[in-house]
Amino acid sequence: MTGPTASDPNASDRNASAPQASEPEETDTGLARERTSLSWTRTAISFAALGGVMLKDNVITGLIILAITPLIWRLGRLAVGGSPPDQLPVIGRNRIFLITVSIVGVSLLCLFVAVLGPAVPGALHRPP
Amino acid sequence: MSRSGRFAAWLPGGAADPEDGHEPDPRFTFANERTFLAWSRTALALVVAGLGIVQLLPPFPGVPLGRHLLGVPLIVLGAVLAIVAYGEWVRNQRALRRGDPLPRSVMPWILAATVAGMAVISAIVLLISALR
Repeated sequence: MTGPTASDPNASDRNASAPQASEPEETDTGLARERTSLSWTRTAISFAALGGVMLKDNVITGLIILAITPLIWRLGRLAVGGSPPDQLPVIGRNRIFLITVSIVGVSLLCLFVAVLGPAVPGALHRPP
Repeated sequence: MSRSGRFAAWLPGGAADPEDGHEPDPRFTFANERTFLAWSRTALALVVAGLGIVQLLPPFPGVPLGRHLLGVPLIVLGAVLAIVAYGEWVRNQRALRRGDPLPRSVMPWILAATVAGMAVISAIVLLISALR
């Protein structure tokens, strides 16, 4: 017997909140994979935005950050491609570590430019 | 475990790659990865904000290092957030593999404390600048 019983009135609530096997995501991880891929794309766009901002201050640093952008995007495509399932955990670990190193490196570059680089004070200030 | 051993445990291929436990549901692994990526984007946004403050804002009258006082901590926080996010990803993935409860995250606390601190510093800098 699978339905709610008189002795357990909350059973119907629990069944309603439990994931149903007929839900697409329950039988296919493709949606989670796709959402993760899109999340990687957004992260790559964030890198591009940072590179664009940096281009105004320091062209070489900006170009370095912009060059990282397609690499980040490519990292996100690894799990979507034809990688064998048993390799996915290793790929996942390595790319998470790589993007952490990238962000820390970019932060240090930005710190260097912010402290020592020539600034354009008031570039956001529009005189009346 | 020695200090170098603890450090190596967080690196790929080190002891943090748990041989025990079992591979978790892929949806949980992907969700953990998306959480890490969301924190990474937050870190990048902080770096952009810090860089913009230092490089683009007009100087604060009477506070010569005001822009650096506001911008540099944001850039440093961006780097710190990225490193802590990686540590949280490793801890969460390990807990998922072992079937343990997920550890509590310190990231919201770090971010909230820093944003509050930066708000206070910003108010002080603006007040000093306005009084001069």
